[in-house]
Amino acid sequence: MHSIRPYCVAGLALAALSLLAKPLLAAPQEAAVVNPTTEDLRQGKATFEGTCSACHGLDGGGGMAPNIQEVPFTLGMEATTNAITHGMSGGMPAFGGQLTAAEIRHVVQYLLTLKRQDNFKITGDPEKGKQVYESSGCARCHMIDGQGGDSAPDLSNVGALRTAGYLNTAILYPGSDLPQQRHFLESGGKLDYLFVHLVTKDGRTFDGTRVVEDSFRIVIEDANGNFHSFDKADLREFKEEPGKSLMPSYKGKLSGAQVNDLVAYLASLKEPQ
Amino acid sequence: MRAAKVALILMALVLGTTRASVAQDVPYQRILHSDREPQNWLTYGGNYQSQRFSRLKQINTKNVARLKVAWIYQPSRAVTNVETSPIVVDGVMYVTEPPSTVTAIDARTGLRLWTWSPKMPEHLVLIGLYGNSRGVAILDKTVYVGTADAHLVALDAKTGAVKWDVHVADNRFGYSMSGPPLAIDGKVIVGTGGSEAAVRGLLDCYDAKTGKRLWRLWTVPRPGEPGADTWGLGAAQSAGGTTWNNGSYDPETNTIYWGTGNPAPDFNDDDRPGDNLYTCSLLAIDADTGKIKWYFQFSPHENHDWDSAEPPILFDAKIGGKMRRLVALANRNAFYYVLDRDTGKFITGVPFAKETWAKGLDANGRPILNPNQQPTLGQGTLVYPSITGAVDWPSPSYSPDTGLFYVNAHETGAYYIKGTGKIEPGQPKGIVGGGGVRALLGEQSYGAIRALVATTGKLKWQYKLFTTAWVGTLATAGGLVFSGTDEGNFFALDASTGKLLWQFYMGHGLRSNPVTYALDGKQYVFVTAGNAYVTFTLP
Repeated sequence: MHSIRPYCVAGLALAALSLLAKPLLAAPQEAAVVNPTTEDLRQGKATFEGTCSACHGLDGGGGMAPNIQEVPFTLGMEATTNAITHGMSGGMPAFGGQLTAAEIRHVVQYLLTLKRQDNFKITGDPEKGKQVYESSGCARCHMIDGQGGDSAPDLSNVGALRTAGYLNTAILYPGSDLPQQRHFLESGGKLDYLFVHLVTKDGRTFDGTRVVEDSFRIVIEDANGNFHSFDKADLREFKEEPGKSLMPSYKGKLSGAQVNDLVAYLASLKEPQ
Repeated sequence: MRAAKVALILMALVLGTTRASVAQDVPYQRILHSDREPQNWLTYGGNYQSQRFSRLKQINTKNVARLKVAWIYQPSRAVTNVETSPIVVDGVMYVTEPPSTVTAIDARTGLRLWTWSPKMPEHLVLIGLYGNSRGVAILDKTVYVGTADAHLVALDAKTGAVKWDVHVADNRFGYSMSGPPLAIDGKVIVGTGGSEAAVRGLLDCYDAKTGKRLWRLWTVPRPGEPGADTWGLGAAQSAGGTTWNNGSYDPETNTIYWGTGNPAPDFNDDDRPGDNLYTCSLLAIDADTGKIKWYFQFSPHENHDWDSAEPPILFDAKIGGKMRRLVALANRNAFYYVLDRDTGKFITGVPFAKETWAKGLDANGRPILNPNQQPTLGQGTLVYPSITGAVDWPSPSYSPDTGLFYVNAHETGAYYIKGTGKIEPGQPKGIVGGGGVRALLGEQSYGAIRALVATTGKLKWQYKLFTTAWVGTLATAGGLVFSGTDEGNFFALDASTGKLLWQFYMGHGLRSNPVTYALDGKQYVFVTAGNAYVTFTLP
C-alpha cells in the first residue's frame, strides 16, 4: 500500500451547524413493509458502529454529524438509502462504493430501531416564538423559506432535523455541540466549521469561519457572509478555535419564556416531505 | 509527425550551437563524476549517492523570492497523479507520464521532442499503487523505464525508439513497476512493487546494451535458503519484500543499496512467525553478482505496511572526530537511521516524527516494541505513524554544505485493523491485505519539513505544513531547500534556518521530487503539480 491514500473511509465528519441545512434528498414517505430479521439488525448494527458511528454517535444521537435516530421515519426509507449510497451536500460521504446494497439496507433497518431520545418538553408558543425570531436578529444570518441571510444554516426544516433539546442548547450555548477538540477527519478533511480569530500586522481584526486554508494562506467568511483572504505571513495573530461559533449566545438576552417560545417555533419548522 | 520532426530539428539546432560533442550521450564516467556538471541532473536522486543536492547557486537565499514560471508542459491527454522526477541532460529533460509513458522535453522551452507509450495489457493489475512511473534512468545513448506491467524498456535517447524490451515479471500476479531504474557501468538495475498482492520480492540486473539478465536477487527466501528460518512455517510461501523505489550506488566498493517493502499479508501475521527476512530492510548488494553483502532490517516482523523502500542517502561525515562512510535513511516507521555503509553496522537511530510502536532502538538498532501496538480485529488499534508512514516514497535530500538531512515528514496516526487475508500460493490474486486502516487525517495530522543533523538525527529546525505532503526535498548550494505541499504550494526555505523565502500556488497538490538544472548560464527549478510540469527561473 505504498503509494495510495488510506482506503478505508472513516466517514466525513461534519460540523454540526452546517448540517442544519436542508437535505437535498427528500423523497416521499414510502410504505415499504419492513420486517428485518434479528440477523439483519445485528449486521446493520455492526456496519453502523463500524462506519457511521464515528460521526453520528454510537446511538445515532449525533456528534460531529447530526442526530439520525429515526431518520428513516422522517426522511423516508428511500431517501435515507439514497443519502447513504450517494452522500449529501454538506459533507455526508457516499458509501455506495464501500457498502453493498444489502449492508446499506441493514443500516437503514437498524436506524429504525434507534429511538429518538429527547427529554426536553416544548412548553412555548410557536406564534410568539416567531416574533422572538424576527425581533432578535436571527434572520440577519439564518434563512427560513427563502427569507433571511445566508451566512448561517438554513432553518426551514430544522424542526425535522434537530430535537427541541438541541435547539434550546444551540440558542443558549452556540457551538456547544461543535467538536470541542480537533477530531480525526477523513482524507484531507479539516473541520468544516472552524472559528478563526486573526489580527493583521497593520492592526485589523477579523473573526470568521474558515473557508479554505493552505500552509501559507487562509480565506475566512465573516458573520456578514463576506470572504477575506490573507497571507499568514501578514498576520500578527492567528487563532483557530474549534468549538467556538460565530453565533452569539442568547442566554441573558432573552427571557426563559422567550427562549421556550423560540424553541417551539423552530421545532415547528418541518417542511412537508 | 511534422511537429515532431520540426522539434527534432529545433533540438539539433539548439544543441548544435551549445553543446555539440556530447549531447544525449551519457557514458558511465559522466554519471560517476556528476558533480563536475551540476547543470545536469543525471540520475533519479541527482547522483549515485541519492543526495538530491545541487551545486548550482544562481538561485539563492537573496533572490529566490523573485522566482517566476519559465514554462509549463502538460501531457497531450489528461492524466492523474503525476509522480515523475526528471533526468536533465544537455538541454533535454526526460520525464514520465502516467502510467508508463516517456517524454523528452526541450528543457529551455518546454516543447515536446518525442514521446513513447508502451502497449498495456487489457487488464492491468495494479494493487496498492497507482502504477505511475516516477522516472527514468539514462546511460550512454539510452533511456530506461520500468512499466506498470513490469517490463524494462530501453529507448533511444534521441528518438524514443525502442532498443529492447524485457518482461521482468508477471503482472497478472501483481508485479508492477513505478520506481525508476538505476543505471551503472554497463548495467541496469530495477525492482518491482506488488507486496499487497503477495508476490515474492525481486531485484533484477540487466545488461544495458542487450537487455540480457545478469542476475536476480530474490528478497525473501524459500525453505533451505538463508533467512528461511525467519518465516516459520510460512517460508514456503514467503512473500513481499518488494523493491519498488530507487536505490543508490557506491562506485568505490561497487555496492548497490536498495530498500525492501513489507511482508505479506499486511496487517495479518498469523502465518509468518519470525523476523521475515529480508523485508523492510536495506540491502547492500554486490553489483557484479547480486549477492547480499549485508542487510539491516529496520522493522522485523513488520505488520503496519511500513515498507523500507525509502531512498538511502550515501554520505561521508565525521563522527567522533573520525571520517566515516555512512548511509542514512528516514524510514516510514518514523525512525531516522545512520549506518556504516561498508558493514551495515548501526550507528544511530532516533524518531523524526511521532511514533508509538517502539520504546526505542537497542544497541544494534533493533526496535524495542511497545505492547498493544499491533492491528486488532474490529475497531483496530491506534498507532503512530499511519499507514502512509512518517515518510513515504518521496525522496529526502542531504546538503554537504549544512550537514543536514531534509525530509518532508508526516505527523499522523491510524487505527490498524487486522483481517483474515491468506496467501494461496501460485494463484493470481487480488489484494492480500490482512486488514486495513482508518487513518487519522484532518485536524490532527500535519506535515513538516524537518532538517536533521545528518550524523545524529537531531532536529535542527522544522517548517510546519498544513497537511501531510507527498513531495520530496531538493537542497542547493544556494542555501535553499525546495519542497511542496498537498495543498498545491511549491516553496523554498532557508536551508540553515528553515525560514520561508518563497512560495508559489500551483493550483493542485504536488506529488513528486523537485530538481534543478542550468542552461546557457541560467538556473532552473522544476517540479510537477497535477497535470502540469513546471519550470521556474529568475526573470
